[in-house]
Amino acid sequence: MITVLFFGPVAERVGASRLELEYQSGMRLQDVQAHLQPRYPEAFALVTLAAVNGEQVRDRSLPLADNCEVVFMSKFSGG
Amino acid sequence: MQGPVRIQLADFSHDEEIRALQAGSKRIGGIATFLGCARDFSEGREVSEISFDAYEPMAVAEMQKLRKEAIERFGLIDARIVHRLGVVRAGDSIVFIATGAEHRAPALLACQWIIDQLKERVPIWKKEITPQGDCWVTPHP
Repeated sequence: MITVLFFGPVAERVGASRLELEYQSGMRLQDVQAHLQPRYPEAFALVTLAAVNGEQVRDRSLPLADNCEVVFMSKFSGG
Repeated sequence: MQGPVRIQLADFSHDEEIRALQAGSKRIGGIATFLGCARDFSEGREVSEISFDAYEPMAVAEMQKLRKEAIERFGLIDARIVHRLGVVRAGDSIVFIATGAEHRAPALLACQWIIDQLKERVPIWKKEITPQGDCWVTPHP
């Protein structure tokens, strides 16, 4: 299972802060995005960053492991 | 005393943060601070409250990295970073940074560097709550 988390404006547009996807062997970060983006186009229009297990990931071809945590994020606005 | 890097719902005391910094070393000759507050007006609208959301584990880890990097980069003796979450009312404190160094220049430079980096690197999002409705804030300098 892959846990996908959303925060702030992305979570608001998805209508949820957490989704779960079934893990498939050989799955990459870009596959998760390709699965979710058509379902939540308005949310993904804001997405500029992704993280896997708490680490920012620039290469969307990163292979994923089962039980990992993926986050799609918009630009930060703290402070 | 609480840790030097924190995300918390509760308000914080700048005096306590500064005292903690001073208590750590008598070599400190200068302390610079930055206090970010919730404004009651933004983009032409009244703002009554600001709500914060964060990816907490990554936010805390990134703030800890920021503190370590600042200490190394500017030769600081110590630094503290506290950011609030949840709902903050107009006029309330949001973020506090304190940097201590032997002299004022590195403390002042590091303080500005940390808040600039925090805005770029720490996964926290703010939503302004106004009489006209709520609005997630778009980052700006």
